Amino acid sequence: MTAVPIAERMPRESAVSRMWLFVKRHVLTVYAILAFVYLMLPIAVVIAFSFNSPKGRFNYTWDGFTWNNWKNWDGVPGLRSAMVLSIEIALLASLIATALGTLIALALVRYRFRGRGATNLLIFLPLSTPEIVLGASLLTLFLNVTSAITFGFSTILIAHVMFCISFAVVTVKARLIGFDRHLEEAAMDLGANEWVTFRKVTLPLIAPAILAALLLCFAISIDDFVVTYFNAGPRITFPLFVWGAARVGAPPQVNVIGTTIFLVAVVAMVVNVLFQMRRERSAATT
Amino acid sequence: MGFLHRHQNLTPYLLLAPGLLYLGLFFVVPLGFLAYQSLESGSFDVGYAFTWAWGNYWDAIQNYRGHFIRSLEYAAIATLLALLFSYPLAYWIAFRGGRWKNLLLLFIVAPFFVTYLIRTLAWETILADQGLVVRVLRDVGILGHDGRLLATSTAVVAGITYNFFPFMALPVYVSLEQIDERLIEAAQDLYASRWKAFIRVTLPLSLPGVVAGTLLTFIPAAGDFINAQLLGSPKNHMIGNVIQSKFLELTDYPAAAAMSFVLMAAILLMVAVYARAVGTEKLTG
Amino acid sequence: MTDVLTRRDLLRRAAASGAFLTVPGVLAACGGSSSKSSSSGSDHTLAKTLHFSNWPLYIDVDEKTKKHPTLDMFTKKTGVSVQYVEDINDNATFFGKIQGPLSRGQSIDRDIIVMTDNSRYPSLLIKKGWVEKLDKSAIPNFKNLEPALQHPNWDSNRDYSLPWQSGLTGIAYNEKLTDPVLTVPDLLDNPKLKGKITLLQGMGDTMPLIFAANGDDPEKVTDASWERAIKVVKKAVDSGQIRQFTGNDYSGPLAKGDLSACVAWSGDVVQLQADNKHLKWNLPKEGGGIWTDNMLIPKGGNVYTASVYMNFVYEPHIAALIEDYVNYICPVKGAKQELEKIDPSVANNTLIFPTNAMLDNAHNFDAAALNNEKYITEWQNLISS
Repeated sequence: MTAVPIAERMPRESAVSRMWLFVKRHVLTVYAILAFVYLMLPIAVVIAFSFNSPKGRFNYTWDGFTWNNWKNWDGVPGLRSAMVLSIEIALLASLIATALGTLIALALVRYRFRGRGATNLLIFLPLSTPEIVLGASLLTLFLNVTSAITFGFSTILIAHVMFCISFAVVTVKARLIGFDRHLEEAAMDLGANEWVTFRKVTLPLIAPAILAALLLCFAISIDDFVVTYFNAGPRITFPLFVWGAARVGAPPQVNVIGTTIFLVAVVAMVVNVLFQMRRERSAATT
Repeated sequence: MGFLHRHQNLTPYLLLAPGLLYLGLFFVVPLGFLAYQSLESGSFDVGYAFTWAWGNYWDAIQNYRGHFIRSLEYAAIATLLALLFSYPLAYWIAFRGGRWKNLLLLFIVAPFFVTYLIRTLAWETILADQGLVVRVLRDVGILGHDGRLLATSTAVVAGITYNFFPFMALPVYVSLEQIDERLIEAAQDLYASRWKAFIRVTLPLSLPGVVAGTLLTFIPAAGDFINAQLLGSPKNHMIGNVIQSKFLELTDYPAAAAMSFVLMAAILLMVAVYARAVGTEKLTG
Repeated sequence: MTDVLTRRDLLRRAAASGAFLTVPGVLAACGGSSSKSSSSGSDHTLAKTLHFSNWPLYIDVDEKTKKHPTLDMFTKKTGVSVQYVEDINDNATFFGKIQGPLSRGQSIDRDIIVMTDNSRYPSLLIKKGWVEKLDKSAIPNFKNLEPALQHPNWDSNRDYSLPWQSGLTGIAYNEKLTDPVLTVPDLLDNPKLKGKITLLQGMGDTMPLIFAANGDDPEKVTDASWERAIKVVKKAVDSGQIRQFTGNDYSGPLAKGDLSACVAWSGDVVQLQADNKHLKWNLPKEGGGIWTDNMLIPKGGNVYTASVYMNFVYEPHIAALIEDYVNYICPVKGAKQELEKIDPSVANNTLIFPTNAMLDNAHNFDAAALNNEKYITEWQNLISS
């Protein structure tokens, strides 16, 4: 049965109803544009004020354009060490969390076992617990456990791995669900043992998922404030630095770092997306 | 064949062990400590003792009832606003995006790569009393001639809505994107108007995403304290602010611990009510 | 003191048990070894770096280079570089940050911190044993301490602390946005100021002003006078008169124009005038607050190096240089004369050299009240209502 084209069914339109149709057609687009503006507004402010040359301590009103903040991004004491710490933690935490999370995802998707429901619950719970409770409970643990764990790098890392695992599991699991087991079976039928199969067949195919999980965990870790606030002891990560600096007047260099993180992330994602689009296009044409 | 192949039963448990043990140690155990602490009494100076002090819970609910209600209120309003704002946007990208879908999606997500605190501070600049936005609103009459946005509940809710926007937008987008357009075409072939097709076909199919987005937004929002601290006044403080100060500044650990559990219970209650209304299979999995 | 596992122990254990179990252990050892510094006072060698946490706007700053001249002078004289962090915004908040590690006997990577005596924390830190004794043998300039400050009741021999600056709490206002605000009732009742004022979140900071405005004595708090004061503040909070309770972070909104007036510390306004020249400060007519900020050495800090620095800033000449910039009340005898030599115009600066009339009109807050659990809870509920 062929569908009757809509235009043939409609009665002849007046100019008004045609205009109305035009508006209806495009209202969604207009809305989308406005929404994008709303989303980008604070970012624009952050970027703009990274070029501001404030006359006093506070970077609230526009006083003049300067490249100095970018040239002298390092000029604020404590900023560099905070940034370095944040990156170190994010790297380590995302690696560990992704490793642990991938293993869990593999188990969840491919095997039937008792306690699957409980496992799902245990993975879901950290995602559904408010950060303040996560931070406070970890603090309570560290305060009551023996002094083997020093407040500082270790406590921050432990906390970050903890809340990243669930994200890693969810990300890898989503990709694993569509994975074809027959490929692995075929490899083993052809004589490969499990380890070789895993290395040469499984791993490359789930690599994009693992990469996605790594990136997600990295982004979450580098941005975390609440849980870190409770458990950092004397160490200062970049978000903690921003919090402290904001109380007394955040210097424009904070905007510079914020903008840089933003640009790096955007470039990475654009590259990834364009890459994907090219792959889809070439897959479609073969 | 291989060892793992022969011992198939063991494999899943071996895979699960490291990760689950880690979560057990650093998620479940701390909550246990927190629960233990919530039943202690005493003070920071003299020390705490475990006394089954259920009174802490009662005190938490009684003394801070306003804060709890306000937190749930703000979180609910912000979640609703986020849904209303992000649904049309997600729809537009999913159905009109074409080849550029992923790139457009980027535009939703990109702003949230700037550190949470920096974004919120930017709102503090944008909504400043002497700033452009407030001045325009005053001229137009929306705000009284002495009105302001900062240090009001409006600013706090607006901040929460903005900051948790992608948590709503992304799940909604994912479920919208998966809808087979042929279903909508079929509905229209059966003489449904565009609007009817949306209500009867698209909306129900996007419900899993809406549910996921709602949960991912509401739950963290209820425990937030940063927006209230930076954009609000003491009258807008949420339960997160109180827990934070009780823990860190007043070192009143038992009260803070009790409050944390009451918060979690309140959230779980709201989620249960919501799940009942919507259907529970959509939640986990 | 914590036991740090030796590397060999850890490696042996790592071989035996699962890898993930020792990750925290390994990291603890790595983290642990770097944060332990020699904390015994009898060690007379200088550390390479002095870690100094202080309040903002509290040390001399060269406007152009943004460096701190007196710190550079210290480095030149002793070879010790100073890591100066302005991370103290409020006593309670800073305490919250450090109490975790300190309660486990861990160092907080600071050699000197500065806390105010109108909060309960200096005495609490001493009581809990979380601060080190000063090495007085390294502080011959101790004799320059003003007599009035030599025997505070929470550290009667000055074994653990040395004043950094004293200061006054009063009312700051923006003359472009409001008529002069000179009394507390004006601040709290004037409808034109609604939603445009802040009070300080420290109980010992704000309450002296409220008590004085009520005609009560802040240095002898009774339940009745406390009730009266709480009622006044609560009324202002409920009516929306008070926008927020702040630590040192009133300075941004005040400079920005979000605030027309606020309870503020005396010296801050002078530095803020670089951002906004319309800011003014006054002691309220009915009475304001006076307090002293104290240098303390947290457990794990390097006592000798910290003491040497303290000696350095008690040199009248150095004290004068700092004073010229921060405009607070100097605890060092002889600084006044030095200051008049460097900058004669400053001799008339009543912020640095308050008149006797001003000093009579400024009050401490009752130390017992600071530790009263009931008052503490009521105050906390008020500022987070």
